[in-house]
Amino acid sequence: MIKEIILPELGEGIDGAEVSEVSVVVGGVVAVDETIVVLESDKASMEIPADVSGTITEILVEAGDELKSGCLLMKIETTEKNVETKATEQRAPLTEPEPKTEELAPPEQETAFEIPRSSENVFASPGVRRLARELGINIQIIKGSGQKGRITKDDLNGYIKLQMAMSSGSASTPKQEVDFSRWGDVEIQKLTRIKRIAGERLQSAWQSIPHVTQFDEADITDIDAYRKKLKTEGIKNGTKVTFLPFLMKAATIVLKERPAFNSSLDHTDQNLVFKNYYHLGIAVDTPNGLTVPVVRDVDKKSIFDLSENLRDLSSRARDKKLKPDEMKGATFTISSLGGIGGTGFSPIVNPPEVAILGVSRSAWKQVFDKKAGEFQARFVMPFSLSYDHRVIDGAAAAAFTSRLAVVLSDLSYFKD
Amino acid sequence: MAKSKHAEIVVIGAGPGGYAAAFRAADLGKQVILVDKDPTLGGVCLNRGCIPSKALLHLSKTMEEASHLSKMGITYGEPQIDLDAIRAHKDKIVLQLNEGIAQMAKDRKVEWVKGAATFTSNSELRVKTDVGDIAISFNKCIVAAGSASATIPGLPADHPSVLTSRTALDLVDIPKRLLVIGGGIIGLELGQVYAALGSRVSVVERLPHLLPGTDSDLVRPLQRKLKKQFKSIQLSSKVTKVEASEGGTLEVTIENEKGTKKEFFNKALVSVGRKPNTGLLNIEATDVEVNEHGFINVDVYQQTSEKNIFAIGDIVGNPMLAHKATHEGKVAAEVASGHPAAFDVQAIPSVVYTDPEVAWAGLTETEAKDNGIAYEKGEFPWAASGKAIAMNANQGKTKILFDPENKKVLGVGIVGTGAGDMISEGMLAIEMGADAEDISLTVHPHPTLGETFGMAAEVFEGTITDLYVP
Repeated sequence: MIKEIILPELGEGIDGAEVSEVSVVVGGVVAVDETIVVLESDKASMEIPADVSGTITEILVEAGDELKSGCLLMKIETTEKNVETKATEQRAPLTEPEPKTEELAPPEQETAFEIPRSSENVFASPGVRRLARELGINIQIIKGSGQKGRITKDDLNGYIKLQMAMSSGSASTPKQEVDFSRWGDVEIQKLTRIKRIAGERLQSAWQSIPHVTQFDEADITDIDAYRKKLKTEGIKNGTKVTFLPFLMKAATIVLKERPAFNSSLDHTDQNLVFKNYYHLGIAVDTPNGLTVPVVRDVDKKSIFDLSENLRDLSSRARDKKLKPDEMKGATFTISSLGGIGGTGFSPIVNPPEVAILGVSRSAWKQVFDKKAGEFQARFVMPFSLSYDHRVIDGAAAAAFTSRLAVVLSDLSYFKD
Repeated sequence: MAKSKHAEIVVIGAGPGGYAAAFRAADLGKQVILVDKDPTLGGVCLNRGCIPSKALLHLSKTMEEASHLSKMGITYGEPQIDLDAIRAHKDKIVLQLNEGIAQMAKDRKVEWVKGAATFTSNSELRVKTDVGDIAISFNKCIVAAGSASATIPGLPADHPSVLTSRTALDLVDIPKRLLVIGGGIIGLELGQVYAALGSRVSVVERLPHLLPGTDSDLVRPLQRKLKKQFKSIQLSSKVTKVEASEGGTLEVTIENEKGTKKEFFNKALVSVGRKPNTGLLNIEATDVEVNEHGFINVDVYQQTSEKNIFAIGDIVGNPMLAHKATHEGKVAAEVASGHPAAFDVQAIPSVVYTDPEVAWAGLTETEAKDNGIAYEKGEFPWAASGKAIAMNANQGKTKILFDPENKKVLGVGIVGTGAGDMISEGMLAIEMGADAEDISLTVHPHPTLGETFGMAAEVFEGTITDLYVP
């Protein structure tokens, strides 16, 4: 029998994805779990496996197609019997089945909409109330813009537009087209999907969070020396120890002391959610754009474990092999440009987190040692902390960076 | 075995709710079968309810007006009553509307099956027709099987002298003495018709008011008139026994707190309410839930506990009114056709088509007092309306109940000529959320009875100039 292959749910927050590769051809034979389509989505690529084995009879997608969960991908002639034809059920709920032979179709509207039982206390005419039902809007939450607060059809349309703008992460107005070629030769390059998505999120974060950035410096002379020692040890068992795991450990120590930095505002913006776990997002630059894989339970891992985790995640991030779940659940993010350069920058908070650490290039500096009464050469790391001012006050942020500087200068925090 | 058919949507009952449901579903592209046990479409409302009673009430009202003209200088002779002609006139109106509905059904390709339907399962009906049983399987069913007159114990219900609203409208004769059991809407309407045609009418009502539940200030002008037209209005009284004697007269036992008495009548009309026709449907063959009063339970989508079966109109509960059924029928048809409809209304208007008419919508003062709901009132007596005086309708009144907080209309009550037509403005005000100033600032034409609605709002606002309110 013919089995229709449907794009499954891709995961929370992922509505759609672009087909980057169709791995099979019509007439080809596939086995269960064999990759049939590769999708590029939400900072990662995903391989969609076949859930049945058989011969491909028809392929309905091609590279470049924008797909949503539930899309029909292809048809496979299976050898199995009685395969559940989920596809037909999903796709044809509106056609009445053949008389007499069918299971009775459930009413089509069952889950399509919901209205409050009564329109009590709703100031809207019957036509507006009906439009709300048709649009699936709970009219009780709509604020009327008409005279005396009457809810109008425009209010409902405005609400829908707002929802659409919010779900796409931007409320941008159409921009005017500019012909840059008037002033010289130009080339056009399409933004990668990762860049587009990251761009929307960054814009939304930048617009919705009142950002403040606190700058500071840490004396990492001693840790850096220690790191070099571990690095030599690591090479023996194949682990490359970088500086980042030390930063992660240090940040986690301070996050534990100052839980507000490890919190989030809930959806109502009325409550803080404190998290008793420490998952750090690490910004990774890839040829396709910025991705932020998440290292879990940093507080429970050794420098070696973290080094290994990081190596694995960043290499897969570059190859677009991260799973969507590996980019979720961070409680705090570190963006390190230390390897590249700069003396300071203000990173953008990655919501729903409330703070992000930015690290710039460390340098040897003359630091006056008051006790010794002389200048000493110290290896100094400049860093910055951007935070959501709705949650964190300036004094708390200054205390955080000072404390982080102290931890980073004290080797005892890192020796077991 | 029986013939069989299939319908995407089958509707049981071709009353105002059922045919609306069938026609709406057809207009939405569904293949529809409409089943009714009557030989004509239109249900109780058209065949033996709203429409024939209004045809007769029009006659009685016109007769009353004509006789009143003598006070204005125009005198007619005594009316000559030709009962056969009246009956024919009434039947002609009904027939005209029957044919209209049948034509509309045909135009919409709605198949009409004549016969009594019973359920055999959640997806099939059996219809007993003149040409044998037909099994109809369906994807969706809309039950619009309506209601029938209720009766009381101690009554020979089958006796030809004991009338229901249905047989009373047949106008077999004009009984000399007519007993109306139950002073509700149907009893008073038909009582007034028979009184105008010459019967001496007595009304016996169990409760201390006529039109129980209706605000007493709205009932009062009607009651004053009925007192003149009827032989007696006996409130807080109960008919405990009706016995038919050999000569055809009925010996009726009436009980009240003063005691028990016997009165003799030629005929008795039982109008003590209506009961749902749920029992005729073999509903037990389905998973449809029925409540303890025999009404089918439905949600705002008119959906029963069995998701493919919808129910609308009298059979789902009070108020048993045609216009409620029609709206519900459309909702059921739309939901069954996959549209996001719901029965979402603020109020359902009620009208008593007596002379004077009584109409109300939304909150009543009785209800407000019973439930401790705060309200304020604007009231305009028709005695101050030029049009009402010119029409001899100065007994009427229009009142509007407002929300004390936001001044929106909570309810409207009207008594007087044309109240049933005027209540629509109140309904619109309620559904649109109009407040007192919205109404008082709306220009109403003068001189009309309709302007009393605007004036009631002006009274409330304190801007009235057609009255002096100190």
